[in-house]
Amino acid sequence: MAVQSTTQSGRPGALRPKVRKPRIGRVIGDSPAGRVIRIYVPLLLFLVVTLFPFYWMAITSFKSASELFDFSVSPLWVRDPTLAWYQHLLTQTNFPHWALNTAIVAIVSTLISLFCSVLAGYSLARLRYRGADSIGWGIFVTYLVPPTLLFLPLTFVIRELHLFNNLWALILTYPTFLIPFCTWMLMGFFKGIPHELEEAALVDGATRIQAMLRIAIPLAVPGILAAALFAFTLSWNEFLYALIFMNDSLVKTIPVGVTQELIHGDEFFWGELMAAALLGSVPVAVLYSFFVDYFVAGMTAGAVKG
Amino acid sequence: MGTATRADAVPAWHQRRVRIYDREAPLGYFLLLPTLVVLGIFLLYPFLFGIWLSITDSELGNVGKFIGLGNYRFEFRNTDGVFYGAVINTFLYTGVTTVFKLSLGLVMALLLNQIFPFRRFVRAALLLPYIIPTVLSYEAWRWMFDPTFSVINWLLVNTHLVHYPGPNWLGVPANAMAALMIVNVWRGTPFYAISFLAGMQVIPVDLYEAARVDGASRRQQFINITLPLLRPVLLVVLLLSTILTFADFQGPFVLTNGAPYNSTQLLSIWAYQWGIPGGAIGLGAAISLVLFPLLTIVVAVVLFMLRRPE
Amino acid sequence: MPRAKKRAKSGWSRRKFLQTAGVAVATMAFPEILISCGPQSNSTPTATIPKPRKGASIRLLQWTSFVKPADAEFKRQAAEWGDANGVTVAIETVTGDQLQPKTAAAVEASSGPDIIQMQYGWPQLYTDSCLDVSNEVNILIGKLGKPDPVNEAFCKVNGTWRAIPYTVVPNAWTYRTDYFQQAGVSSFPTTWDELTAAAAKLKTTSKPISQTDGHAYGDSLTMWNPVLWGFGGKEVNADGKTVAINSKETRDAIKWAQGAVQAGFVVHPEWLDPDNNQAYHANRISGTLNGASIYIREKIEFHKYTDVTNNAPMPSGPKGTFAMNLIFNHAVMKWSPDAETAKAMLLALMEKDQYQKWTMIAAGYNAGPFESLHNDPVFASDPKLKAFQDVVAPGKWPGWPAMPSKKTAQAQTQYIVADMFAKALANGGTGDIEAAISAAETSLKAIFERP
Repeated sequence: MAVQSTTQSGRPGALRPKVRKPRIGRVIGDSPAGRVIRIYVPLLLFLVVTLFPFYWMAITSFKSASELFDFSVSPLWVRDPTLAWYQHLLTQTNFPHWALNTAIVAIVSTLISLFCSVLAGYSLARLRYRGADSIGWGIFVTYLVPPTLLFLPLTFVIRELHLFNNLWALILTYPTFLIPFCTWMLMGFFKGIPHELEEAALVDGATRIQAMLRIAIPLAVPGILAAALFAFTLSWNEFLYALIFMNDSLVKTIPVGVTQELIHGDEFFWGELMAAALLGSVPVAVLYSFFVDYFVAGMTAGAVKG
Repeated sequence: MGTATRADAVPAWHQRRVRIYDREAPLGYFLLLPTLVVLGIFLLYPFLFGIWLSITDSELGNVGKFIGLGNYRFEFRNTDGVFYGAVINTFLYTGVTTVFKLSLGLVMALLLNQIFPFRRFVRAALLLPYIIPTVLSYEAWRWMFDPTFSVINWLLVNTHLVHYPGPNWLGVPANAMAALMIVNVWRGTPFYAISFLAGMQVIPVDLYEAARVDGASRRQQFINITLPLLRPVLLVVLLLSTILTFADFQGPFVLTNGAPYNSTQLLSIWAYQWGIPGGAIGLGAAISLVLFPLLTIVVAVVLFMLRRPE
Repeated sequence: MPRAKKRAKSGWSRRKFLQTAGVAVATMAFPEILISCGPQSNSTPTATIPKPRKGASIRLLQWTSFVKPADAEFKRQAAEWGDANGVTVAIETVTGDQLQPKTAAAVEASSGPDIIQMQYGWPQLYTDSCLDVSNEVNILIGKLGKPDPVNEAFCKVNGTWRAIPYTVVPNAWTYRTDYFQQAGVSSFPTTWDELTAAAAKLKTTSKPISQTDGHAYGDSLTMWNPVLWGFGGKEVNADGKTVAINSKETRDAIKWAQGAVQAGFVVHPEWLDPDNNQAYHANRISGTLNGASIYIREKIEFHKYTDVTNNAPMPSGPKGTFAMNLIFNHAVMKWSPDAETAKAMLLALMEKDQYQKWTMIAAGYNAGPFESLHNDPVFASDPKLKAFQDVVAPGKWPGWPAMPSKKTAQAQTQYIVADMFAKALANGGTGDIEAAISAAETSLKAIFERP
C-alpha cells in the first residue's frame, strides 16, 4: 500500500519513503490524498529547504543598505525595494562580460569534454583490449590530485603556450577535471545498455563504429545529457584556474570577477553580491529546465522494446 | 558474454581472447586518443610534477633538492595534532555528507520521477544549489550564518526554537563543522538526484509492468528492480562525489578557513596553507598527496560494497 | 643516506642562520647605524636613476584598498605617468586571499606582473624572484628620509633591498564615545588593565568592546601580537631559531586576556576582517581594533555615528606599548622585461606630492613609510585621525623580535598566536592555558625546527 514516511525538512534525519514506483509517463493511480502525502509534502519540504537561500539572496539584492543591517523588524520581507544593486552590477561593473566569458568557456569546454569522453567511455566500457582496465584506472587515479596542487605546474604550461589572459587557457584546462568525470559517468551508462542490441547489429554486418554511432550512443543520450549538464556546471563553478590565469577585468569569469570587485577586504557589498549570485545561476537553471525535460522525453521514445 | 564463437584446437577461450584483443585494440586506442592527448598535456605532466614536488624540499620559486619521504615524515611525526585532526575531519566531513547526499538524492530522484504540475520548473529549481557558482553560494551561506545578521538565527529565535542570539554557527567547533556539512549537502544533493533520475530513465518500463503483473508491491519493485539497475550509476556517482568532497577546497576555505582554531581544518586547506601562503610547496604537495592512499582505501571499500553479486 | 644528507644540509643552514642572526642582532642593537650606513655604504656618488622605456607595458598587481577612491587615485596617477612617458600601465587589484595564490603562481611560473605588492614578509618568501632595488630605495631615502623600521625589516633580505617600501595601514581602536560616556569611561584605556576595567563597565550598556580571535587576515594579527608583546611574550627569540612561546610572560598575556573576557571583553572566533566593521556600523559594539576604514566609512558613507566615534592608540602593557600594522611594499619581479621602466614608475609614484595626494584621498587609511612622509597633512586635517598616526611608531612585525623570514611567515599564516589565545579564551575565557601554550609551542617548533 502507498504508505509514505514523510521526510523531515531535507536535513539530517530524513527517512527514505518505503514505497515508490518510478513510472515514466504513467499517472499513478492512487487516491488524491495518497498523492499529496506521498509526493507533494516531501516535494514541498525539499523545495523550501533548497530554495530558501535563494529567496534570501533575492530579498537581500532588493534591500537598500539601511534595510540590510536592520534586524529590528522582520528581515524576511523587503519594505523598500530598490533596483540600485542590479543597476550598479550591470552598468558599473563588467558583469555582462563576465557572464559571457563564463558561458563561452563552459560551453566549449563541455563540448570538448563530451567528445573525448563519449569516445573514451565507449572504448573503455564496451571494447575489450589489453590495457583497458589500467587506462581506466589511470584516468581515475589522476583525478585524485587536487587542483590546489595542480595549478602551480599548470601555470608553466599555460605560460609556454602564451595563454595567459586568454579564455583558451580555461577552455583547455577545464577538460582535465571534466573528462575523467564524464568518462566514468558514461561508462556507467554504456555498461547499462544490454549487449544484445549491439550484438544484433554486429551480426547483421555493421562495423563496431556503426554499432556505436547508431545504437549505443543514441541509447546513452540521457547519460550524455546528464554528463553535459554536470560538465557545464562544473565549468561554470570553477574558480581557482580562472583566478590565476585571467588578469584583466574584461576576461574574467563570474566567480572571479564578482569576488574581486564586490568584496573589499573590510567590506562585503552584500546587496550586489547576492544580485550577482542570482544572475549567475537563475538563467542557467531556466535553461537546464528544458534539457532535463528533453532527455526524459527522449527516453520514453527510445525505451527498449522487447 | 558471447562474442567470437569459433572453437579450435587451442583452448577456445584463449582463441577467443586473442581474437578479441587483436580486433578491438586498435579501435579501442583510437577512441581513447583525444582523451589521452588532452589529459596528457594538462593533467599528467602537472600530476607528475606534483609527485616530484612532494619528494623535494621545494619552496615557491626555488627548485628544491630531493629529500625522499622527508615531507611525509615531517607531517606524520608532527605532534601538534593539526595534521591528524585534518585527516579525521576530512573523513568525517566526507562520510557524513555522502550518507546524507546519497539518501536525500535518492528520495529527490524518486520524487522528480513522478508526474505533477510544473514538473519542469521544479526540476530546474531543485538543481539551483548545484548550478550557482560554488564561491558565490558559500558567500551567500556565510551571509546566512553571519555572526551579526544571521537570518537563520533570526528564524530560530523568533519561532522560539532557541534563545537569543541563537547558535554561534562559525565560532564553535562543532557548529562550524555542522555548518560546513549542511552547505555541502545542500549543494551536492542535486548532483546525486539528477544522476539517479537519469539512471532511472534507462530502466526499461516493461520490467515494472511485468513485476506489477506478477503481483509485486511497489516496495518490492523498488528493491528488486530500481536499486540493482541503478548500481552502475550509483557506483560512478558515489566514487566521483566522494573524491570531490575529499578534496573540497573552495567552500570550506571561504566559510571557515580552518577556524575556530583549526577545528574545521581539512587536508585540502592545510595543504594549501603550507604550500601557498607558507611557501613550502614541497610540503604542500606532500600533504595533498596523502589524500591519495586514503582515497584509494575509500574507493576500494566502496567498490567492495557495491560489487556485483555474481 | 637521507639522514646524512639532512645533516649536511642543516650544517649549511646553521651557518646561514648564524649569518642571518648576526645581521639581525646588529640591526636590533644598532638600528641607527645600519640605516645610516645605507646611503653611505652605497658611496657611489650618483645613484643611477632608472629611465622608462617608451612603448613599454607595465602590469602591477596589488591588494584592493578598503577605501575605494584611493585605488582610483592610484590608478589615475599611474595612468598619468604612463601617458607622459609613453608607457601602458595596467593595474590589477584583488582581495588579500586571492593575491596570495596569484603571486605564488607567478613566482612558480617565473612570469606574470612586473610589479607585485608584497604583503608582510613576502620578500623573504620570494627573495630570488624579487630584483635588487637597493639603488631605487637609496634614491628615495635621499629624497624622503629614513624608511620605517618595519617596512625595512620586511623589504631588506640579508642586507639587500628586495622591495620598495610603499605604505603602512595603521590599526587603532575605534570606539563609541556615547556608550563610553554612558558607562562612565571618560577616555579610551591607555593600558591593558584599564581595558579590562572599561570592558566591564561597557558590558552594562550591552554594547561590548569586541574583537576577533579567529583567522582574520589582518585583525587577528594586529590584536593578539601586540598583546603578547605588551606582556613580554614572543614566538621566537631574536635569533630566529629558538621557540620561546612557553614562558611566564606568555602566561601573563593570556591571563590578562582571560581576565578581560571574563570582565566583558567579547572575542569572536568566527569573525573575519569585515565582521567587526559590520558590527560597528550596525550599532552592536562599542569599540574594536581596526584600520581607519570604520571611521572613514562612517564619515564618508553612513553618516550615522561619525560624531560619536573616536579613535585611540594601542594600550600599553607592563613591557611597553606595541602595535601591529599592515605593511605593503612593491617588488619589481625578475622576469619583467621592462624592469627599469617599472622602477621608474614606482619612484614617480613615491614622489612626495604625488604620494600625499593619494593619502589625502585615502582619508587616513594609509600612512607613508618614510620619515618625511610622517607629518602627512591628512592626519592634521582631522584630529580624530591622530591615533592612526600615533600607532605607526610602536609598530612591529609578526615574529618580532626575530627578523622576518620564511619561518616567521609560516607561523603567521597558520595563525598560531591567535589560535593560542582563542583556545584559552573559549568558554567565556576559561580555556586551558597550558594546553593552549603547549599546542602553540608544538606548532612553532614544527615550523622553526624544520630543516
